[in-house]
Amino acid sequence: MSLLYFPGCTLKNKARNFDASTLEVFSALGVELAELERWNCCGTVFSMADDDLMLQLAPLRNLLRAEQQGGGELLVPCSMCYNTLRRAQRFAAADPERLGRIRDFMYDEPSAYRGDVEVRHPLAYLRDRVGLERVKQAVERPLGGLRLGAYYGCLLLRPSELAVDDPARPRVMEDLIAALGAEPVEFGQRAECCGAYQTLSWRAVTLRRTYEILGSACAAGARALLTSCPLCAYNLDQMQREAVKSYPDLCAMPVLYFTELMVIAMGLGWKPEWSALHEVDPQPVLDAAGA
Amino acid sequence: MATEDKLVTIHVMGEAFRVPEGSTIMTALEYAGFQLTTGVGCREGFCGACGTLYREAGDYKIKGGLACQTVVTDGMHLAQIPFVPAAKPVYDIEALSPDEEAIKRIYPEVFRCVACSTCTKICPQDIQVMDYVQCLMRGDIAQAANISFDCLRCGLCGLRCPAEIVQYNAATLARRLYGRYLARPSERLERRVEAIARGDYDAQLDELQGLDADALKKRYYDREIKTK
Amino acid sequence: MYPESMQESIRKVEASRARRIELALSGKPVVEPMSAEQRQDVLDRFHPDYQDDARREVRWGPNAGQRLTTEVADLLETYARVDPSDYDLLEPDFDTDVLVIGAGSAGFCAALLAQEHGARVTLATKLRLGDANSMMAQGGIQAAVRDDDSPVHHYLDVVGGGHFDNRPELARALVSEAPDAIAWLRRKGVMFDQEDDGSLKAKPGGGTCRPRMLSARDYTGAAICRTLRDEIQNRPEIRVLEHSSAIELIKDARGRVAGAVLYHLLTREHFTIRARATVMATGGFGRLHVKGFETTNHYGATADGLVMAYRAGARLLYMDSVQYHPTGAVFPPQILGFLCTEKLRGMGGQPVNADGELFVYPLEPRDVEAASFIREATELGHGVSTPSGHVGIWLDTPVIEKLNGAGAIEKNLPAMLRQFQRFGVDIRSEPILVYPTLHYQNGGIEIDVECRSTVEGLYAAGEVAGGIHGRNRLMGNSQLDLIVFGRRAGRYAAAFAGTAEPAELSLGHVLEANRRVGELGVDRDRISPLVLPDYVPERVKRRQHDTRYRGTLI
Repeated sequence: MSLLYFPGCTLKNKARNFDASTLEVFSALGVELAELERWNCCGTVFSMADDDLMLQLAPLRNLLRAEQQGGGELLVPCSMCYNTLRRAQRFAAADPERLGRIRDFMYDEPSAYRGDVEVRHPLAYLRDRVGLERVKQAVERPLGGLRLGAYYGCLLLRPSELAVDDPARPRVMEDLIAALGAEPVEFGQRAECCGAYQTLSWRAVTLRRTYEILGSACAAGARALLTSCPLCAYNLDQMQREAVKSYPDLCAMPVLYFTELMVIAMGLGWKPEWSALHEVDPQPVLDAAGA
Repeated sequence: MATEDKLVTIHVMGEAFRVPEGSTIMTALEYAGFQLTTGVGCREGFCGACGTLYREAGDYKIKGGLACQTVVTDGMHLAQIPFVPAAKPVYDIEALSPDEEAIKRIYPEVFRCVACSTCTKICPQDIQVMDYVQCLMRGDIAQAANISFDCLRCGLCGLRCPAEIVQYNAATLARRLYGRYLARPSERLERRVEAIARGDYDAQLDELQGLDADALKKRYYDREIKTK
Repeated sequence: MYPESMQESIRKVEASRARRIELALSGKPVVEPMSAEQRQDVLDRFHPDYQDDARREVRWGPNAGQRLTTEVADLLETYARVDPSDYDLLEPDFDTDVLVIGAGSAGFCAALLAQEHGARVTLATKLRLGDANSMMAQGGIQAAVRDDDSPVHHYLDVVGGGHFDNRPELARALVSEAPDAIAWLRRKGVMFDQEDDGSLKAKPGGGTCRPRMLSARDYTGAAICRTLRDEIQNRPEIRVLEHSSAIELIKDARGRVAGAVLYHLLTREHFTIRARATVMATGGFGRLHVKGFETTNHYGATADGLVMAYRAGARLLYMDSVQYHPTGAVFPPQILGFLCTEKLRGMGGQPVNADGELFVYPLEPRDVEAASFIREATELGHGVSTPSGHVGIWLDTPVIEKLNGAGAIEKNLPAMLRQFQRFGVDIRSEPILVYPTLHYQNGGIEIDVECRSTVEGLYAAGEVAGGIHGRNRLMGNSQLDLIVFGRRAGRYAAAFAGTAEPAELSLGHVLEANRRVGELGVDRDRISPLVLPDYVPERVKRRQHDTRYRGTLI
């Protein structure tokens, strides 16, 4: 079967490994992802201010494109994009009057958005549509009980209306880890903020967050972290080198996209160029799978 | 040109003029008596000097056109936009990489795009301007270069953009990055350049240059013509 | 969109199309190319240059006694726009090593190379950077890059197309530097069309024996010119003076060209600039509307460089030869005379008459092709008339889609598709009506391989220069000439500037020129350079009591 797929900008550059591994994993599970044609930036950063209609244009135009290309479910792996597009989906459904004003502005489009798109995150899709049992059957190289922490951050769980799981006690990523033959480790800071864009303006905040989150995971016994957010990956992985200067006792560990872990466990072939996109070498994870 | 038996009224910067029906905005302006020194260039739709904003009678929509390519309509209001204020940043094409980092460095405002598509709506070349801006944001230089290829740099997109992006400048950078770094190498071209530098054709060219007129003519008319 | 009166002929074109496509697919020319005698016959009888009143003797100056194109001779016999007593030449407003006049591709190349060779460069242009015919070239640029082609083949085509009047050393420089020019442009970031294996797409052109026309869709000139413009703007050390039209050259006490007078079109100020070397890159003369023809040319193509150089003593070459592009648009009337690129024929488009019949090999050299169109439409009476009274012959463009596959026009000829679509004609399904239109100045300022004119200190490159193309330029060789000779001019002008000692400036040659023209009894209101053509209608002009001159900028 075929499913519309929205990669988002970062998956086309800094998180190419997330894009490629997502495509591989879904293909192996029998779902061909069809990249949305003429997609644009999800609209993140701006769309938080939902009183400004102009800022709803980007996400709604993506939903409109999805509708023009068949509608139904739209798979969005990046937590940020998922959050933004899912919010827009709810906005359109909840506020027809303001949706009408946006439609009117988009008169150059061949059709107006009707609301026929369901934004889905791959974690939820794997759980609800594919089934983690099926994922388990597809595992070729079980991860030998490697202890892994699932890091949700903010955007998969908040606000609660669009959470991919129970925002108070999420378990979807832990269940996935278990299905892949590794051992999930719950840790206190798994749903705390990574520092997000403070990296740009107030770096010390992010460095501290990096230190604390890794410390929390480390204390629980995790050897690596999983994420679905390129921004979290940047703050938790790329920032380790800088953070260790402020926090010499920082607990270093690799940070992987959950789809990368699936590629490893399903024996789909890790691409050497993905390693270059990681600051902390993910080799220990590969070793655990004997890959 | 257009027949003068039927005239229509156009408003040039608010002032009404009677001009021949069927004429382009540019020839209408000249018919009205303007001698153009700005907002005019090639007069054939290739240089982008005559970008014009206009509204037609009974329509609130603002439209963009090239004065040399747009036919006047009765009741049209128009203003020529000979230049859109925007400095062109100076950069060394040899010191850039063909990715979003180059765009971030030279044209950071590109990332302010809110996908409103106002640029695409106004483009007289019907280019999907917003789409190429989006490609620039994600570092897809090849696609940005491809989509923007037919841009004439009239500047109307940059004038209308609520995010104040100078799209046509960024597109120029994208095309140069593509041509410089991403276009496939042409081995045949490189081989030919080397062969000429080696002097491989000198003897034959010397010979042709040395032929008398009749011999050269014969050589020319006897040459084999290949069209494929 | 075509009116009913033209529909019957279109049906005939459609009726013969399948047969003509079959002919094209055979791989042989759809019509036998002409012999030397046939070419000469059709040129003698139908090319506008060969008509009695096309040329007249110019009565003064370096080419005195030669028969030149009548409109050119008229222009050379005009008074100067400047009054030399207005300027203090002891205190010029600007000082530079190399002054480049004209900001098309030749001027850009000259400025870039002069700057790279250590010169302080000033680039002065009448309108804006890139306001030039260079920007408008559509179909291609020639360079022998295919394995079955070579500079030798290219050379033969150039001199044969030029009626063997080309200066051989210039033609040789043109073809020999072509591949390197392309490689240089690619390094600057020009995107040429490529095949899947990376080789450059090459199409045949009029008068070429091999497919040699490289392209950037049908915006080839724009792709090159806008890239070079961007590069100019990346070098702030090159001083750019826009809206600054050169209106006379300045010489010095040694008789060298040593700068120019510039006229600012917006503020109407005059500025003087002293230069150790001057490169004329002002382009061509289409806006002279020779013999009343419509033109494909830029608004500023008024032969300014030609007349300024002539007054300064530079000899002109082949200014008896005018290029009419075979395929200027005839319908719709809004685009009358506009260029329909030769690439349309390079990709298989076929000229056919009112009966839908082929009558000429589609890729003869331009003068031969144009003369054949005129013969078909006039003497043979096989033309098609428009409601506004113009006549043309068909260029069957839908054939292109059939020969190259659906979508070929949109992909390779987007400018042409858009041009006609704007006025209601879809060239993918409908033929277009064409007739020769004034396109190019074959001759120009006489130069040698270092782009030196016959006056020391004055260099020329691009359309304003003469000798490279003989008496008829082939398609794609103009874009090439701009790059090859633009770069040469910049390099050699910079070298000369490095050695030139300044001497006292003078406009004495202008006084002398005025005196000579005065002796001919020319009306005082005939002045030049024209700067811009005058399209103000008579009705308005009668009320413009401050208008002093004829046929030029107010």
